[in-house]
Amino acid sequence: MAVENDLLIQFRKSGEISVLGLSGDVDVYTCSILRDAIIHSIDQGDQRMVINMANVNYIDSSGLGTLVGGLRRVKQNDGHLAISSATPRIRKVLKITGLNKVFTIFEDEDSAVRSLDT
Amino acid sequence: MKDNSKIAKTRRVDYVEKRKEGWRPEDLNMFKFLHGVLNRVNVCYVATYPPTECGIATFTRDLVGAIGKYTPFSDPMVLAVGGEADIQQYPKIVKVQVPKSDLQSYLDAADFVNRSGANVLSLQHEYGIFGGPDGEYVLNFLERLKIPFVATLHTVLFAPSPNQKRIVQRIAEMSMAMVVMVKKGKEMLMEHYGIPAEKIVVIPHGVPNVHRVPAASVKRDLGIIDRTVISTFGLINRGKGIEQAIKAMPAIVEKHPKALYLVLGETHPGVRNYEGESYRTELLQLVSDLGMEKHVRFNNRYLTLEELINYLCATDVYVTPYLNKDQIVSGTLAYAVGCGKAVISTPYLYAEEVLADGRGILVDFKSPEGIANSVDQILSNPAMREQMETKAYAYGRRAAWFNVGIDYLDLFHRISDSLKTNSSKSAQKENEKQANGGTNV
Repeated sequence: MAVENDLLIQFRKSGEISVLGLSGDVDVYTCSILRDAIIHSIDQGDQRMVINMANVNYIDSSGLGTLVGGLRRVKQNDGHLAISSATPRIRKVLKITGLNKVFTIFEDEDSAVRSLDT
Repeated sequence: MKDNSKIAKTRRVDYVEKRKEGWRPEDLNMFKFLHGVLNRVNVCYVATYPPTECGIATFTRDLVGAIGKYTPFSDPMVLAVGGEADIQQYPKIVKVQVPKSDLQSYLDAADFVNRSGANVLSLQHEYGIFGGPDGEYVLNFLERLKIPFVATLHTVLFAPSPNQKRIVQRIAEMSMAMVVMVKKGKEMLMEHYGIPAEKIVVIPHGVPNVHRVPAASVKRDLGIIDRTVISTFGLINRGKGIEQAIKAMPAIVEKHPKALYLVLGETHPGVRNYEGESYRTELLQLVSDLGMEKHVRFNNRYLTLEELINYLCATDVYVTPYLNKDQIVSGTLAYAVGCGKAVISTPYLYAEEVLADGRGILVDFKSPEGIANSVDQILSNPAMREQMETKAYAYGRRAAWFNVGIDYLDLFHRISDSLKTNSSKSAQKENEKQANGGTNV
């Protein structure tokens, strides 16, 4: 059923880097959308990926688990995954859980793309 | 005290076992990595706990679950305060059972916690759940405790007795922080109890993570597809004021002939012990006297969370006609707001704050006319109803358990970090003193 906190994902390319722009909540109801999007990108041969979280309001443990799973898949393919543009709330969640030590996190999408592009 | 664990052990990861379970090397490597870097905090919760049926037990279970999901490598435990002689069939996370009225058990439990390896203790406070006058045995427990604790207050009285005030003030003195669920609670603690603002943290009552769905689709599953559903849920007792909503039903039915008022939940076990089902019997008689048998239905049992959410999603208007102005928290109202429902309530403290800014409608205490008029207002005005539901949902979303869990975890980490900082500062001072030839007095 359509609800306002469904997760929408916009795919785009910035040079060789694929960017997944998320909008909505990443939680137990929507994390499969993110998982499928990451798998789809990997299947397309994308090895370097930025997940732009500027428009993510909330994330729960299922959403975090999906991000970790995505990182694992990307690394299996010798790739890199970075997070960009997270709101203070999302940054807080990453810090409190310790996941800020797991992911490379950038202030904005451009910085993330530049870093993965080098 | 019944000790269910004897020794609280730090969780150890058996990698060999995981390999036997068929874990792939890359998954195991990721697991090892996460095990090394994710934050941990071993929390001991002191409260009532399911299968005990009460709001605080449910709250504690949900809080434990919410925090546990973010700290998979931590070792939480629960110290359950319960009945006198009965041994409850608690889940494994409950390591110790404390009979409410046995003072020695509180002291033994504190000793157990002190050597358990817990970093921080989360106390759920309500006068009635602890033994002694006004539940003062909790102080004996806390005074013996050697680890930092945070107290979440489920009741803050406007006009406490001297002993009730003393208990809360003493808890405040000993605690690292006091949590209340609405801003009004903080104001009351400051004004009436003299507790400093910096010690009080406002964290909303958690609500399940529910995405909004059209009521009609859920009504179909519940067999009430053609009905306009008004509901109230929770453990039934006289303070709920359900008779006021029942008295409103004839006027509601006159304008909305398909209206159905659902009263969901069993009689509170504590109430059942001293007055049996007399309140419910009176309500049934009232329904009969008003000729509302086809418009009021009781579901007299403890509902699972899934059942409860289904009923809430099927609800058109949720009502809390409670009678106690001082009520500072209501889990049922929090849940209804979390599901994005249009809510009508009497103006008790919690409802006043949660339903402010157009998130619901407040009606006078003991006013069936007010309830009937407000129900009609909501049902006759879809645009207003949609706006109210959207505002309520946005407010409730912030209070989803996964957000509340992070708020508590943040608080626990800050306390833990500040203690580490203080302890390293003390050690540094001590070193400086010794280097300067000082003595330790």
